[in-house]
Amino acid sequence: MISAERTEGAERTRIKRSAWVWIGCASVLLAALPFLFRLDGHAHGDWLQFLGRFHPTLLHLPIGLIVLVPVLEVAGATRPALRDAADFVLRTALALALPTFALGYMLAYGAGDTGTTVSRHMWGAVVLCVGLMLCIVLRPGWVTREQAFVYPAVLSASVLALVWTGHQGGSMTHGSDYLTHYMPGPLRALIPFSGSKDAGGNSFYALHIHPVLDSKCASCHGSGSAKADLRVDSYDALMRGGKDGAVVVAGKPDASVLLARVTLQPGDPHFMPAEGRTPLTSEEISSIREWIRAGATATATSVPGVKFASEQAEPPPQPVGDYSSLMPQIQEMQHGLGAKLVPLSAKASDGLILRTVDVSSSFGDAQLAQFEKFAPYIVEAELARTAVTDASFDTLKTFTHLRALHLEGTAITGSNLTKIKSLSQLRYLNLSGTKVTAQSIEPVKKMSQLRNLYLFNTAAESEGSTARSTP
Amino acid sequence: MKQHPLCTDCEREVDVNGLPIPAGLKREWSAVETRRQFLGRSGKVLGWAALASLFGDAAIRGRAVGADAKSPVTSHGRDNLGLPHFAPKAKRAIYLFMSGGPPQVDLLDYKPNLASQYNKDMPDSVRGNQQLTGMTAGQSRFPIAPSHWAFKQYGQTGTWISDLLPYTAKMVDDLTIVKSTNTDAINHEPAIMFMNTGNMNPGKPCLGSWLAYGLGSMNDNLPTFIVLQTKTNPKENNQPVSSRLWSSGFLSSEYAGVGLRSGGDPVLYLADPDGIDREVRRKMLDAVEEINRQTQADVGDPETNARIAQYEMAFRMQASVPELTDLSKEPQSTWDLYGPDAKQAGSFAYNCLLARRMAERGVRFTQIYKRGWDVHGDVVGILPTLCAETDRASYALVTDLKRRGLLDDTLVVWAGEFGRTVYSQGGLSAENYGRDHHPRCFTTWMVGGGVRPGITYGETDDYSYNVVKDPVHARNFNATILACLGIDHNRLTYDFQGLDQRLTGPQPATVINGLLA
Repeated sequence: MISAERTEGAERTRIKRSAWVWIGCASVLLAALPFLFRLDGHAHGDWLQFLGRFHPTLLHLPIGLIVLVPVLEVAGATRPALRDAADFVLRTALALALPTFALGYMLAYGAGDTGTTVSRHMWGAVVLCVGLMLCIVLRPGWVTREQAFVYPAVLSASVLALVWTGHQGGSMTHGSDYLTHYMPGPLRALIPFSGSKDAGGNSFYALHIHPVLDSKCASCHGSGSAKADLRVDSYDALMRGGKDGAVVVAGKPDASVLLARVTLQPGDPHFMPAEGRTPLTSEEISSIREWIRAGATATATSVPGVKFASEQAEPPPQPVGDYSSLMPQIQEMQHGLGAKLVPLSAKASDGLILRTVDVSSSFGDAQLAQFEKFAPYIVEAELARTAVTDASFDTLKTFTHLRALHLEGTAITGSNLTKIKSLSQLRYLNLSGTKVTAQSIEPVKKMSQLRNLYLFNTAAESEGSTARSTP
Repeated sequence: MKQHPLCTDCEREVDVNGLPIPAGLKREWSAVETRRQFLGRSGKVLGWAALASLFGDAAIRGRAVGADAKSPVTSHGRDNLGLPHFAPKAKRAIYLFMSGGPPQVDLLDYKPNLASQYNKDMPDSVRGNQQLTGMTAGQSRFPIAPSHWAFKQYGQTGTWISDLLPYTAKMVDDLTIVKSTNTDAINHEPAIMFMNTGNMNPGKPCLGSWLAYGLGSMNDNLPTFIVLQTKTNPKENNQPVSSRLWSSGFLSSEYAGVGLRSGGDPVLYLADPDGIDREVRRKMLDAVEEINRQTQADVGDPETNARIAQYEMAFRMQASVPELTDLSKEPQSTWDLYGPDAKQAGSFAYNCLLARRMAERGVRFTQIYKRGWDVHGDVVGILPTLCAETDRASYALVTDLKRRGLLDDTLVVWAGEFGRTVYSQGGLSAENYGRDHHPRCFTTWMVGGGVRPGITYGETDDYSYNVVKDPVHARNFNATILACLGIDHNRLTYDFQGLDQRLTGPQPATVINGLLA
């Protein structure tokens, strides 16, 4: 009995020792690979690329299995059969991870990928493979409770390496801001590094060129991977060009390779973005063309001939309903009060402007209240220098389609401003020369759709009037 | 036919608001009425023909599309025009007219290569077949005069601006600079007429009149279209401007620009004379209106309505203009911004301040004329004065509108009638030079509602002589201004002399989309 145990123990020790040797050899081989076949930015043969492109098809299998291992280990605490399966899953994962790594390396080496993201991805994969091998060797010791912590630690590290490696890989294919691109503002504020890739400023380049290149081109021509030695993720890098020279010739769109490559037929081998990634839209292409034509500067804030109708998620004005049946009442109102309801344009659905300038001194809250029956048709209320007070907000809050509100030079203090928070269409609010304070305007500062807030000559002036938004 | 209130041969004694009408006047009226009866009631062809000749062009005056002669006195049938055609970006406009032709090479059109070409002849190939003015046609050579002033880059846009315009330089990121504006005329009168009315010959309505006609008034107590003239500086070469430039042409004369005087009372005889209070004035106007309405019913001349409207406007202006021009309540920040010149009535800065106050009060179109830009000689001596008078004030106006939230729906235009040559008129010396008229290119700018901020549009050649990219003809310039105000220039028309007249004339004009936001 004792001798049998000892033999078993010796046997295990022998297996373990040979396993260590194997792991050591394999690890050295993995780590040496990048030095044997350097990722030098040159493509190396179609075969490698052909096989390498199966990397993305294979890689999700080992990922799933690796993630499954800790699940089985934990669940195995109550159902021992699961824990028995863990060892098998772990070995299968390694058996899939190694070819995945090999294919990945072929892809990078064959396509000539370089860059920090590529190398991070690669070294992450090396660490992961080594970690998996260690897990296989260390696990028996954990099962027999000889070493309670080593295996869990290595397994956790492997899972972390997996997450990190996977993220790097994802960044290469989808672009580095793929995950954070649509992150809501408040969330974004919590994550300091997200969105740091903005070119900054409000130049045409920063607003319209950089984002396009960053989302559609930078995954292959960016910090992560710079194919053909070309990076488009910063203005300087873009203008520097790639291994074949400049890609942007300022003032000459026709001579700019960048434009030529994105405008080829999609079937053309030189068409960009390559490999079936989302092509540039015709609007994006035309803004790049006009930007190049206008001199391709990093600073110009706009470019002739390019218009962005509803950019930066500026929704089109909401049409108002049909008020033609109210026309007699509208005219009557005009004769009675002297304040007018004027159509914004010949298109009735553009709505009405409430104009009080002829009777401003006698136009107060009571007069305003009479316009409540036209509330949904009024898109602009010109109440500057009228006698309205804070009580007017009770009426104004019913002006559901209001886009511009002029209250400059009135006696309002803003104590009731919170009542107009629900005006989802309001873009322009002029409170200049009123008695509002930094505190009383807090509610409107939170109105995200409000583009222009004017506070000239008020106690809240230092809060900063919003400048005219750049087009 | 309705009996005239002052008619003496009626049965009952007419009482006009209890006014004591002298018997002599009543007799005189009865004589007039007799002739009127003869012409009006007989309905003889001869009579109407006589009337037509008496009224001159007014009788063959065309009628607005959809206009109704019997419409009420205010908003004269223009409710039917269907304007604005589309949602406007700007409700109102302020036009800073730099009369005389500012030299673009010294202000906004930077030509760094010229310095090395001092006193060299301008190549004939550049000049091409351009007509010359009588002032330089006799010159044996056309020596290049590089600008006396250095240029620097400003703003995020890195726009090159002359050292003469330090304030304009501060707002380049907001401006829409048009380097390729060009016109057809080379002399002042036709060129300034062309910029304002779209035609070199007088008689067409100007931009402001078209706007007043097309868009109507926003404030019933002030004119829709106001013209401010800047006091002339005798040091400068002041070309005359005349009321033809703010004439309503064949449109009803109520759409003509109302000029405010640059000194003394802004409007002459605006105050009631001693002993006449507002009540009496009102009664008098009511009586006059009744007479005019009768005349209108008899004769049907729309100009009568215009007259009624103008009397009424003058009455309301008695209250509104003193308030408009009372600057005593302007805060110190205003004076800090506009500078000390603004306290001088009639200065360009003062007019800019008035323009801002008019924008606040709903004046549709304000045009400020600044004369003196006609620098045929002594550019080095005169140009700094011109710039000192206008640069800060223009900046102040734009900045003031911007901080008060008015620039979003106000379009400000800065333009002259043409540009000036790169070659020197008269003697070129190391210290001084002159510049002649030049229609082929000149630099203008716009800012505010409707236009795209922070761009420079169009390019000129190395001599700032020909447009090489994106030309903006004066006609298209005006079409673009109309577009900012929600008007399709092809659809704002008025039937006159058998033609659907429009601001841009019969030739095709296009809106320059590249200038629009």
